[in-house]
Amino acid sequence: MRPQPRMVAVRERVLKENDRIARELRRRFEEAGVYVVSMVSSPGSGKTAFLEKTLSMLHTDTRVGALVGDLATENDARRLQRSGAPVEQINTGTICHLDASMVTRTLEQWDFGRFDMIFIENVGNLVCPSSYDLGESLRIVLLSVTEGEDKPLKYPTIFNSADVGVITKMDLATATEFSLGEAHRNIQTVRAGMRVFEVSAKTGAGMTEWIQFLKCGASRWQKQ
Amino acid sequence: MHELGIALSIIETAEEALHHHAASRVLSVRLRMGPMAGVSKDALLFSYPVACVGTSLEGSILSIDEMTEGADLEIVSLEVE
Repeated sequence: MRPQPRMVAVRERVLKENDRIARELRRRFEEAGVYVVSMVSSPGSGKTAFLEKTLSMLHTDTRVGALVGDLATENDARRLQRSGAPVEQINTGTICHLDASMVTRTLEQWDFGRFDMIFIENVGNLVCPSSYDLGESLRIVLLSVTEGEDKPLKYPTIFNSADVGVITKMDLATATEFSLGEAHRNIQTVRAGMRVFEVSAKTGAGMTEWIQFLKCGASRWQKQ
Repeated sequence: MHELGIALSIIETAEEALHHHAASRVLSVRLRMGPMAGVSKDALLFSYPVACVGTSLEGSILSIDEMTEGADLEIVSLEVE
């Protein structure tokens, strides 16, 4: 006789395994006192140039490292190594986002105690990375002036999952007739109260303020 | 498109629950999903049956309750035998 079908309650998060690994990562980062910043954006928004500038500005007095995700190639890691900071590349193959287990595996050889800050550059994608906690202390979302002011309205989920916004390629703002006012309004519509920086990695504009913010954030976090 | 990965996570959690409740097969899965979960309902419904092939969820029905707010993505219940 076939068993009777029955209903059973589960009430568990679908990504609970990722959440568990991310919690463990966060605990290890905290224990080592390392401030971890992850970056999300669409492809071509200037994540790598922004990170390269950030790493080289911090490298003089802060122990920094970075982890970069891409479907293929080691190009970004090679570029970032010019800053002198240790960099690891994650090639995700066909996977469109990083998850906590990839971060754990890639950082296996790293002694977190040797770092003050670690940056994680996610795969360029404004959709999938929003669902995956990577154990980071701060998540930033980048928006370049070449993409248009309405990106936050089109991709509210990723803007909502981030703590801080960065508008990149400000040196091109005039040429692209980018409306900063509208961009700020759109960001505030989907994520009210979010702190937003305006930078150009090329000219260095706005970078000092950003670096200052990171250092303050890290020291506040380390005191907790 | 990470819905296939989401489908695989559903299967993993459902199979654990199946084992826990000493049942052998999942007939249906009920999911709760907030608008900020970052998951496309259509893409998930499309990839789910493919992901289930060869597992104890093969042929099962996925139903998704869409919430009006939040980022939850949660398995509410399973129908098992």
